[in-house]
Amino acid sequence: MLTTYLFFGLALLAVLGALGLIIFKHPMNGAMSFVVTLISLAGLYALLSAKLIFAIQLIVYAGAIMSLIVFIIMFLNIQEKDLPLDPNRWFYVAGGIIVVGPIAGLLINISRTLPATEVTVFDDGFGSVKEVGQLLFTQWLLPFEIVSILLLVALVGAVVLAGKRGVN
Amino acid sequence: MSIKVRTVERKGRTFLEQLYLVEIAKGMTVTLGHFFRNLLDNSRLYVRHYPEVQPEISARWRGRHRLTKHEDGSVKCVACFMCQTNCPSNCIMIEAGERLDGRSEKMPTRFDIDLLECIYCGYCVEACPMDAIRMDTGIFSVTSYSRESMVLGLEDLLETPGAFDEAEYKKGGG
Amino acid sequence: MSALDILLVILRIAFGAFVPLSFVAVLVWMERRGAAFFQDRAGPNRANVLGFRAGGLIQNAADGIKLAFKEDIVPGHVKHKFYFILAPMLVFITALLCFAVIPFADVLVLGDKHYIMQAVPMDIGILWFLAVVGFGVYGIILAGWSSHNKYGMLGGLRAAAQVISYEIPMGLALVSLLAVYGTVNLTEMAQFQGKLLFGFIPMWGVVLQPLGVIIFIVAAFAETNRTPFDLAEGESEIVAGFHVEYSAMKFALFFMGEYVAMFVSSALIVTLYFGSFQIPWLNTETLVANARPLVILIMIGLPVIGYFFGAWIKKNNRSHYYRENDPRKKETAVYISLLWSLVAVTEIVLLAYLVFAHGGVADRILVALLQIGTFLFKTFLMCFVYVWVRWTLPRFRYDQLQKIGWEKLLPLALLNIFITSAIIVSFG
Repeated sequence: MLTTYLFFGLALLAVLGALGLIIFKHPMNGAMSFVVTLISLAGLYALLSAKLIFAIQLIVYAGAIMSLIVFIIMFLNIQEKDLPLDPNRWFYVAGGIIVVGPIAGLLINISRTLPATEVTVFDDGFGSVKEVGQLLFTQWLLPFEIVSILLLVALVGAVVLAGKRGVN
Repeated sequence: MSIKVRTVERKGRTFLEQLYLVEIAKGMTVTLGHFFRNLLDNSRLYVRHYPEVQPEISARWRGRHRLTKHEDGSVKCVACFMCQTNCPSNCIMIEAGERLDGRSEKMPTRFDIDLLECIYCGYCVEACPMDAIRMDTGIFSVTSYSRESMVLGLEDLLETPGAFDEAEYKKGGG
Repeated sequence: MSALDILLVILRIAFGAFVPLSFVAVLVWMERRGAAFFQDRAGPNRANVLGFRAGGLIQNAADGIKLAFKEDIVPGHVKHKFYFILAPMLVFITALLCFAVIPFADVLVLGDKHYIMQAVPMDIGILWFLAVVGFGVYGIILAGWSSHNKYGMLGGLRAAAQVISYEIPMGLALVSLLAVYGTVNLTEMAQFQGKLLFGFIPMWGVVLQPLGVIIFIVAAFAETNRTPFDLAEGESEIVAGFHVEYSAMKFALFFMGEYVAMFVSSALIVTLYFGSFQIPWLNTETLVANARPLVILIMIGLPVIGYFFGAWIKKNNRSHYYRENDPRKKETAVYISLLWSLVAVTEIVLLAYLVFAHGGVADRILVALLQIGTFLFKTFLMCFVYVWVRWTLPRFRYDQLQKIGWEKLLPLALLNIFITSAIIVSFG
């Protein structure tokens, strides 16, 4: 019962945070509301007893990536006067609702038609570091390595792109 | 004349020093030695327990001012305004009046020193031709709860005795 | 859930919340008196209640009262008041939350039930620490940014860049440690450290990971923004850094957050590398098996320690100048009688244990208490190392700091991972 309430609370927070990200004008407000979303998502993972994903969500997304983004926002020191005027903001929002509304309705409809099942809480072994690690390094070794190479390429690309500007 | 060139050996370039850790450990043993020396016997601290134990002040210390008197108790000051003119922070305020005891023509009727303005430079003492103003009271801590009480009048200045005997003070060059 | 379960939950959470808080007082006191003794000064020793100064501890109470009653100013130029107020809370709460997963005693076995002695029994352990520590940065960034002040901004930038870049060598040092222990659960790590290497060396992390411990401690110093990495505060150049605009309790939260973070990172260093709650050569089972001789040993040892401690108090707690019937002598007499009554009470309790309650549950509880004591003692020593380093080393320059982090610690940590995993694969 408690988990249901927790789920609704976290889901509401996640949606509100996402809304805030779009609606707030100041980038810092947007970033902070996105942090709220990320934390509530981590909470949702924890409810699914996916502990490793929960920790990684917090460490990587909420901890590292978002703090870098907030850091950059602080570094640029954006003032009210630097922000674009954007007089048609609400018009865009309304347009967005009109466009996205039917799709959302469709999605809600789909989720309604899903057959109702009992939720079973997995035991302690599920989603822990050991289980996920073993799966990653046996069954999913190739995709895992490919993703690592992709990240490495991205890293090298970033270094090359950043280095070029300095040479001139 | 040739310039003497001495090549100073550069320190801190060896591997061990570049490693930081060894040098840090050395420094930390030194401080730890001090810590335990003081922890085990705190009478070895290099401190004076100030408000209870007052520092010894030499005769040359420029403390709070005072006005000196003749043997018969009359004011030495002749209101020549030398100190007021010399004062770099304009903290001395003298009003002169007629002197009736025959020692000279003038004497101060008002002699105010604003201690909040004073920078304790001692120029007034040097300027005084009569040795009438001195800074030998040995008072080095001047505090008060109000601004008004920081302005010393003629009476306050005359009241305070000197903290040192005459010979000692003279030896200090005063 | 039985009443015992609930009691233990309350006890554990209370321990997790109040021990860091009360250690703040101890650490502030240790910092100030320690700093004084390192520099041949006396430190705060005047504040007293009815003439009792408790070695300067009363000064903390005075400071606390002062901070609580000061005017809480939010400067008029602060535009984002919400973040301005949120920032100190974030710093403090994240520091406190980190302690939740650190075990302070071995798993307590009462009857057929097992109680994990952590504030929050979570088996992701060290990952939780890494996750929560990351949030501390937000507090610093938001404080620096919302202060809308050049010094605050610079301090915030420095602190954030420093914490983010030192998280990497810290994480990598942890990776090789995790490879050694084979778990992320801190209680299991602590239990692992109760074993013996070659039969006579305690298998502490510091023995198994000599390079890792250096990397981790350096990174931990940088993470807590302590000297020699306290450029974020750098009072000589940027006044006080990110908390320059804060006053009263908001400042106090930053201040306490710093000390809680110091306590937590000391506790973590102890847990990971210095055997956690393990007494060397005596693991939990040995302790439980030999509880009676141990208690007798303690009962003999206590008066001896009490005697030396009393002699030390008597020697040092007196006025070092002439004073008419010295009031500090009376103070000393009270302290010494307190000390001896404390010793007497402990002796009576231990005697009662020996006579009535030895064996079974009482042994387990006794061992748990002993382990909590060991853990706190080790953590206290590690905190002392923090203070010791602070009053010995000068501050690094900012480029030196980043250079050490990226060019020295990072490759070293990677090398450490290679060596460790090679050894584990070939021997383990």
